[in-house]
Amino acid sequence: MTGSTSTELLRAEHLTRHFKIGGVLSRLMLHAVDDVSFSIGEREIVALAGESGSGKSTIARVLARIYKPTSGEIYFEGKPVSQLRSRSDRLRYSGLVPMVFQDPFGSVNPVFRVQHGVLRSLKLHRPSLSGPERAAEAARVFEAVGLSADMLQRFPHELSGGQRQRVGFAQALAMRPKLILADEPVSMLDVSIRIGLLNLMAELRDTTGVSVLYITHDIASARYVADRLIVMYAGQIAETGPIDEVLASPRHPYTQLLLSAVPDPRAPLSAAAKTDRGEPPKVIDPSPGCRFRYRCPLAIDTCAQVTPVLAELRPGHDAACHIAQADANQVRAFS
Amino acid sequence: MSDVPVLEVSGLSVDYVLDRGNVRAVDDVSFTLNRGEFLGIVGESGCGKSTLLFAVAQLLAPPASVASGSVTFEGTNLVGLTDSQLSAIRWRDMSVVMQSAMNALNPVKSIGAQFKDVMKAHGKPARDEIEARSAEVLRMVGIDPVHLRSYPHQLSGGMRQRSMIAMALLFTPDLVIMDEPTSALDVVAQRSLMAQIKGLQLAFGFAVIFVTHDMSLISHFSDRLMVMYAGQVDELGATRTVFDRPLHPYTQGLLEAFPSIRGPKVPLRGIPGNPPDMARLPPGCRFGPRCPHAVDKCAQVAPELVELDEVMVRCVRRQDGSLPVSADHKGAGQEGSLSR
Repeated sequence: MTGSTSTELLRAEHLTRHFKIGGVLSRLMLHAVDDVSFSIGEREIVALAGESGSGKSTIARVLARIYKPTSGEIYFEGKPVSQLRSRSDRLRYSGLVPMVFQDPFGSVNPVFRVQHGVLRSLKLHRPSLSGPERAAEAARVFEAVGLSADMLQRFPHELSGGQRQRVGFAQALAMRPKLILADEPVSMLDVSIRIGLLNLMAELRDTTGVSVLYITHDIASARYVADRLIVMYAGQIAETGPIDEVLASPRHPYTQLLLSAVPDPRAPLSAAAKTDRGEPPKVIDPSPGCRFRYRCPLAIDTCAQVTPVLAELRPGHDAACHIAQADANQVRAFS
Repeated sequence: MSDVPVLEVSGLSVDYVLDRGNVRAVDDVSFTLNRGEFLGIVGESGCGKSTLLFAVAQLLAPPASVASGSVTFEGTNLVGLTDSQLSAIRWRDMSVVMQSAMNALNPVKSIGAQFKDVMKAHGKPARDEIEARSAEVLRMVGIDPVHLRSYPHQLSGGMRQRSMIAMALLFTPDLVIMDEPTSALDVVAQRSLMAQIKGLQLAFGFAVIFVTHDMSLISHFSDRLMVMYAGQVDELGATRTVFDRPLHPYTQGLLEAFPSIRGPKVPLRGIPGNPPDMARLPPGCRFGPRCPHAVDKCAQVAPELVELDEVMVRCVRRQDGSLPVSADHKGAGQEGSLSR
């Protein structure tokens, strides 16, 4: 199902994560992620886009083994992740698949110098290094993310938001990762420095060959940096494919809605585009049917009865929509 | 009355009084806002845009205080008014929508009870009058009036923000001040909220000051745009003009920081460097150290805000013509995809 030619690094199959909600006696289940399958190749930036509450962050946390999947399996380099039993195997996995968090002000410990986090993860994940080697390695990863080595001695409050987020990437890089899970890494930064971080992700991919799962709700930045796009809606994948192709001809009505909402200052002033006031549903014990049907202007009876599954419309480009699967060119919900 | 501007800010400066000396967060800002006008204020974090808003609404708390200048709202200078004089104006003639609705709404009171508080602060309306008006404003922002009984945590982020806007409209004020009301929302909710604010503004004719760090958000909604940097106004003009022909290098940088969703992919650079420490400002132009067009003169002369082709701009090189306007920002990037 990937459109890329690169070797597969990670594959998620029928990944599902439910949360029990309500009181002790409640049997309500929130379906945060429902039957999601995708893969990430080597040297590839995959953007995972969707509204808040669509399950993007849950996927990242399942991949980082913070949450256990309710069902489904993750294969990393061909081996099932649930089979990792020993502490060293699990450490190795979390070193190869580190996470970079959204809030650079909350994710760096304020009472230690910034080198603390980098040195600690080096000690934990690469125990063969000696003390001076660790220091040299910390300086190397700092330079790789565009910070000077003397920044290692600073305290977090002395750094700007953009610099702290670079520290987050440096910590991830120190572990020689194969795949960085970046959960909205730029959304708390000023627009003027966002681009620098996006360029950094592309640069790291090109120089170190690392893959990135870039979680965002900003499609324009995804287009700028990513190779492939996965659009999530209410815990399921709505559409996936090479990013340029998906954005040039979006097949799922939800992707079209997302695209129509992106403000483009370079576009001529026009009457406000068609928008909707709907909100993504909280998926609690869902009945069958397309979860987007309440907001979809094209919904037909089938949409309320049969849950659409991802199907390939063009090579590498999949969408989960009955209308698009019947006739891909008919979908013009929001433009 | 109708040709009198709603708001006239003149020479407004705000100081933070600290032990290590005063820090001027807003420096000599002047602008007028006409009836029904939508003014967008953009800038990076720490540029003084929120402080300016608080000064306009007279919500500054120590250590911040107005050092000089005036804020004339419908003929009255708000600077120096007592709290009781201000509370006669607040909500009725001028209302403020804060950045984080979760913090601005009272978590232990229902939405309806909070609306009632606001209405009771201005006169003694009858109970059914309160209910009718509360339901009406909620309907205006697209929320079912059953949510008057809901508590803030029962609403989604977008609904909370919309109910804040509904509360601001209880008295049909002449001026609504908004401090990044959409920053906690995702794109689709942002877009529909912006369209709704604009629709309400056109229907009721109130003026809006809208502060955001996301320039692209207001490109289609604001009439005039003010770009702030390090406490000063760098550029002020009609929104379309500023977007099509940004004069200040900082404005150009902000515009170039957005990847486009259409058109060719061009490698972008953003604006290298960080905004200056307000306690240690660079000599001359405050943007000089980050400016790609800076020359020696920029570090020597502090530029004034001067009108140039209907736009106010603070840039020495624009003003003396050594940086031609034809160096258009659209030609800044070459076509081609991001380096692979």
